[in-house]
Amino acid sequence: MKKLLIHITIVTGLFFVFDRLLGCGLGLLYSQSNATDEYKISYSNESTCDSLLFFGSSRCLHHYVPAIFEEELGVSCYNTADWGIKNIYYHYGLLGNILTRYIPKTIIFEIHPCDWLQTPYSGAERANSLAPYCGMSNQCDEMLQISGNYWKYQLSMVYRYTGSLPNLLAGKYGTMDRSLKGWKPMDGVMDTTNVKAEEYPFAEDTVKIALLERFIKECQQYHIRLIMVESPMYICSKQDVFRFPRILAQKHGIPFLDHYRDSDFMGHRDLFFDFGHLNRKGAELYSKKLSKELRNTLPAI
Amino acid sequence: MVVNSLSFLWFFLAVMVVYYLCQNRKELQNIVLLIASYWFYSQVDIRMAILLLVLTLVFWLLGKGIGVAFDKDDNRRASILVNIGVAIGIGALFYFKYLNFFMDSIIAFAGLFDLHLSWTAMKLIVPVGLSFFTFKLMSYVLDIYHGKIAPEKDIVSFTNYIAFFPTILSGPIDRPKPFLKQLTVARIFNPDNLMNGFRRILWGMFLKMCIADRLDIYVSAIWNNYEHHSSISIIFASLLYPLQMYADFCGYSEMAIGVALILGFKVAENFKRPFFTINIANYWSRWHMSLTSWLTDYVFMPLNIKLRDWGTNGTIAAIMLNMAFIGMWHGAEWTFFLFGIYHGLWYIPLMISGQFFKKTKIKVNSHGWPTAPFVAKMAGNYLVVTFGLMLFHSKNISEFWAILCRIPEAWNGSLFFDMPTLVNGAICSIALIYVDIQEEWFPNKKIYLPSFAERWRWELTIALEIVAILLFGIFDSNQFIYFQF
Repeated sequence: MKKLLIHITIVTGLFFVFDRLLGCGLGLLYSQSNATDEYKISYSNESTCDSLLFFGSSRCLHHYVPAIFEEELGVSCYNTADWGIKNIYYHYGLLGNILTRYIPKTIIFEIHPCDWLQTPYSGAERANSLAPYCGMSNQCDEMLQISGNYWKYQLSMVYRYTGSLPNLLAGKYGTMDRSLKGWKPMDGVMDTTNVKAEEYPFAEDTVKIALLERFIKECQQYHIRLIMVESPMYICSKQDVFRFPRILAQKHGIPFLDHYRDSDFMGHRDLFFDFGHLNRKGAELYSKKLSKELRNTLPAI
Repeated sequence: MVVNSLSFLWFFLAVMVVYYLCQNRKELQNIVLLIASYWFYSQVDIRMAILLLVLTLVFWLLGKGIGVAFDKDDNRRASILVNIGVAIGIGALFYFKYLNFFMDSIIAFAGLFDLHLSWTAMKLIVPVGLSFFTFKLMSYVLDIYHGKIAPEKDIVSFTNYIAFFPTILSGPIDRPKPFLKQLTVARIFNPDNLMNGFRRILWGMFLKMCIADRLDIYVSAIWNNYEHHSSISIIFASLLYPLQMYADFCGYSEMAIGVALILGFKVAENFKRPFFTINIANYWSRWHMSLTSWLTDYVFMPLNIKLRDWGTNGTIAAIMLNMAFIGMWHGAEWTFFLFGIYHGLWYIPLMISGQFFKKTKIKVNSHGWPTAPFVAKMAGNYLVVTFGLMLFHSKNISEFWAILCRIPEAWNGSLFFDMPTLVNGAICSIALIYVDIQEEWFPNKKIYLPSFAERWRWELTIALEIVAILLFGIFDSNQFIYFQF
């Protein structure tokens, strides 16, 4: 028995040594990433210093062209959005991490139904993309706790980077067009065969709603101007999908700019890459339109 | 409850503690094991646990009945009872697994002759592990009948043999004699068993989480959307599938064997580096060994004896039937039947050339590596297996045919390259191939370690394996492929 305990102790010790050494190396690779999603996430968390930040999921990532907003509004912008149906769990953790470094002046938040509904494809696990930043802010740690993985990330540094070694190596030696400032253009025109409006037959998620409220309150507490936006879709649901964010924005006295059914875009196949994402041309047109709208209606930005 | 989950870990730790707390009383240990096994199995569906219990009791009584009949020299009665046992075993399999398929096939066949029959498919839940535990039940009565074992007096021991939780879901299929014997003695806590068992569990987790689940992402992406993929992508995914299957099923078997070892049981081995073989007969002697040896003993041998008057043709017929059984054992679909027949056909040239009865030894060069012609034969055999597994993977014959037709049509497309999946999968697959080469051809050659580290070889290996699983593993994975059987 004594021998066994010695074995177990040594295995545990060696595991922690290997895990910490490799974890530190992976962390270094992660923060030195020049390309891939890892670059985007690490830059958003560690390096942004812009006045205006865009928050959201893939629709935000592909729709908001920072260069156009910079030109129109005269402030530096960065699009922090990430693909993969990211939701409020991720956005709130990211906000917490950014706030440990600096306070942006404005946040444009492209809200999506997965930010307040019980969408089965987008839950608390979306916060796991913030695993490398475990311990960076209370908000981030709280999101990782809700995802159920916080203690695992505490126990193992390697686990924070699980499956990402090839991406880290590609990111280390790859390059990305930094002038796009986080925007990811989509080239191509959508195929309209069998296109149907996306419906959201899900109940409201009280945890997500509470987090949305906290997101708004924290922005207000730090005097960040928060603007909620909904960008165009090729085809829209007949339901009033965005009733909830409209009420929420009203309640907190923040602007909600709803372009969901914008007729300049809706049904214009040449402006879309697929039914939910604008292509390069569509994103540039939309960014011009929105930036002008912001300039005219919200001059304080 | 999946074996590579945290919930299983807590369950197993709790069982282990209680189990070894009563290590001086084997009866108590067996009861703990029985409760644990039934609790584990009832997590899937309590109704299945009840069915398992009923079948177990029926076979235990049948075993007793056969024993009594032999005591009274009543061979006829023993024969009737063993036939009842086999009929119940096959009947349970047929009812839960094959009835709908059989009726649909009859209706489709009748339709060819303009006979319009109707049948409403029954909504049956196939008990998990049915194909595994029915084989155990049948082997019990058959072994009693053939005088290999005496009827088990202790109902707890017998129930433990059938429901043993590490192997109930996906095998290995243990034989009654060696397993029941282990239940007759108390299992004393053995640190060596714990260490070796833990190492096998970790290796199984590595195979499952780092290779099988990783490759599954790529293979499923191609196979589920084959109409949008190029020929080269379909061929590449098909070539990866045998490796995925091997890692998945061997991974489960390793975990099951490891868990059993920690509890003090030695259960049957299931894999012995099956891709280092040069023909299909060799391959089946190393792939899912507990199933193939079961079918060899209870199907092929009796058939071969029955058909011996036909000479080589009789053996070929016995092989074809045996392989058809192997195919259909996997599921109620014609693809599985063809999968078995396809493998059976590859035996014919071996039979005719006389290689079937010869033990093939792979020639190695002066460095211990297999020679080039043998490597080429192994590669050829891998291709043969790959084609068979394309049938296995297809949902039905139409899909299989559609995929085959897609291959010559889509040569102009490029290879679908999912970098993270393929690179992670490749790193881990290379590790697996390295370990298998090492065990196959250089079993006594170890990786050199400096003398100060040599004494900590086990600890180093375990720590590195855990780190590798954390780095390359997939933690929100699917069930094991073989759970469906």
